[in-house]
Amino acid sequence: MRLLLVEDSKRLQTSLQRGLRKSGYAVDVTGDGEEGRWLSESNNYDVIILDLMLPRLDGLSLLRQLRASHRATHVLILTARDTVEDRVSGLQAGADDYLIKPFAFEELLARVQALCRRSYQRKNPRIVIGDLQIDTAARRVTSKGRNIELTPREFMLLEYLVLRRGEVLSRSEIEAHIYPDSAELMSNAVDSAVCTLRRKIDSDRPGARIRTRRGMGYVFESTSE
Amino acid sequence: MKSIRARLTLSLGVLFFFSWCFGGLAVYLTLRSEMTAEFDRALRASTEALAGLSEQSQGAFDFDPAPEVMSRFERRDRPEYFQIWAANGTTLVRSPSLRQADLPRLAGTLSAPHLWNLILPDGLRGRAIGLRFPPKQDEDTPPAGLVHEVTLVMASHREELGNRLGLIKSVLLLAGAGTAVATVLVVTLVVRRGLWPLSQLAERATTIDASSLGERFASKKMPDEVSQISRRLNDLMARLEGSFTREKRFSGDVAHELRTPIAELRTLAEVALRWPDDVAATRKVLQDALEIALQMESLVAGLLTLARCEAGLLAVHPEAIPIEELIREILHSLAREIEAKRLAVTLHVPESTCWLTDRVALRSMVTNLLANAVQHSPSGSAIQLHIESGVPAGRLRISNATKELAQEDLPQLFERFWRKDGARSSNANCGLGLALTRAYAQALGMTFRAELTDDSEITFELSGAQTCEAREAHQTFLAPNE
Repeated sequence: MRLLLVEDSKRLQTSLQRGLRKSGYAVDVTGDGEEGRWLSESNNYDVIILDLMLPRLDGLSLLRQLRASHRATHVLILTARDTVEDRVSGLQAGADDYLIKPFAFEELLARVQALCRRSYQRKNPRIVIGDLQIDTAARRVTSKGRNIELTPREFMLLEYLVLRRGEVLSRSEIEAHIYPDSAELMSNAVDSAVCTLRRKIDSDRPGARIRTRRGMGYVFESTSE
Repeated sequence: MKSIRARLTLSLGVLFFFSWCFGGLAVYLTLRSEMTAEFDRALRASTEALAGLSEQSQGAFDFDPAPEVMSRFERRDRPEYFQIWAANGTTLVRSPSLRQADLPRLAGTLSAPHLWNLILPDGLRGRAIGLRFPPKQDEDTPPAGLVHEVTLVMASHREELGNRLGLIKSVLLLAGAGTAVATVLVVTLVVRRGLWPLSQLAERATTIDASSLGERFASKKMPDEVSQISRRLNDLMARLEGSFTREKRFSGDVAHELRTPIAELRTLAEVALRWPDDVAATRKVLQDALEIALQMESLVAGLLTLARCEAGLLAVHPEAIPIEELIREILHSLAREIEAKRLAVTLHVPESTCWLTDRVALRSMVTNLLANAVQHSPSGSAIQLHIESGVPAGRLRISNATKELAQEDLPQLFERFWRKDGARSSNANCGLGLALTRAYAQALGMTFRAELTDDSEITFELSGAQTCEAREAHQTFLAPNE
């Protein structure tokens, strides 16, 4: 899952970025409203975490412009403005959620997860595909009851492939979704990540759940369910 | 009674009622007096005509009226009456209408006859005239003996006069009642129409609440009196709107200034506790936490000082302060920032300038002003600092170039937490510096103001400081009396 954090407080930027990355999200960060608008229009984010008081372009204007350009990205407003008026105007401008500072990181994480599920029209955080069970809330994967240890990035890759199972996803698409813009990648980073993931989730069964479509990309076989 | 409409209606109704009563009474009394006088003149003319028919011949009284004269005293319906007495009271003649009855024997002179009301022998109301006169002598017969005066009383019915006066009275009363009713209706209507703009104003006022303070009352097409009220109300609305906007902005600013560092602190701590393995990150968290604590400490100290100043609780300890020395100390503390921005600071301070004021407050004010100038001046620009000393008061002016401020920002410049940057991104200050400077200035009896020139130069001026020269001059002035 790829997130955009638009927050002008450097300290919040740092700690939220760290926490969200550790939780398995690819996070792009900016502290400027104009740059936030440009990033949100140039990339496909699953969720945008948006502060309201921003330099150059305030959060509400950014949100309105995003909606005016028919972008359906889920937006969570994260702000110190706590009045009913502020909340109503934020939600009416097109926000999907509204969280007031100070907040619990756990709560922010839960709300981001909920918005990510909504991106893929799912309400249940648990995904069951045959022997494979994925708990997107607890970030845990089991196969035939056996716990599979995955790094945050591997979990992100698996979650993305599973949520789009049956669809062929190109390397660049996967790369854009699980790595932040700032990451410096080797040319075979996606291939090597898929290879590692295959080894971990298919070690106890014959055949691979993640298939390679030569020249096109990867697909998580929906028939394997 | 609190209703203007009811009070005006009642007052105008009562006024019209009493005016009508007095007017009607005056008309009635005048008419009655005139009609009675007219009646009396006719009665007197008739009496004088009767007196003219009386003669005295050789001591005997002779009265020989013509039949047409006597017809008035002989008719059956409402006849007139007369009676003539000799000086000794013997009735000489009486009208046939009197039969055997007598009229009262009251009389005045021929020139001033006596007139009075009475009940006539037929029981109806009448009016009588009595006069004494000497009957004329028969021209053919020379007077023989003493000429005696006789008394003539004539009476006539005054029923017709009474009826006419009664009719006038009734007409006046009816007209009065009609006018009173019409007055109440007209006054009610006029007052209602007159007060309609006020009702409109009240109706408009009921639709205005905190969310619609931008609306205004109509003042055009209104009567002058109401238009004045509308204008005053609009002024009040403008002031209220300004206060609400400031209050709202202040609440938002306070929320941001207090909530953001708390959110930073909480997120730092939660993320660090959740992933404690990264030592470098944890060390950075601790550094950030310390910075946040210092920032909040400064904010709380600023707010407390402001509260103390506003409550008049700031303890002021005046002492002689060499101003140049103080400014150089402050500039020294800002040297790194000044150098980083390549700012040229020019100081114009008269030699040995000394102010008599509170050192802590003055240092805080000048530090705020200089730090602001350094922070907001464009790189490579100049900061001018002028001190004027002498008697009676000293003045400090700090000018620097600015690209951020506009004239409309000046009224908000000294408000707590106001920042030109709506995002409030900078952690360098929290927007209390100028508010604090103004509060200190007020506590020290100084004046603090700002002006922005067209060439984008902002000047802050602190004036009214007591100088040491002023104190010495004052003491010298007092010395001869000591």
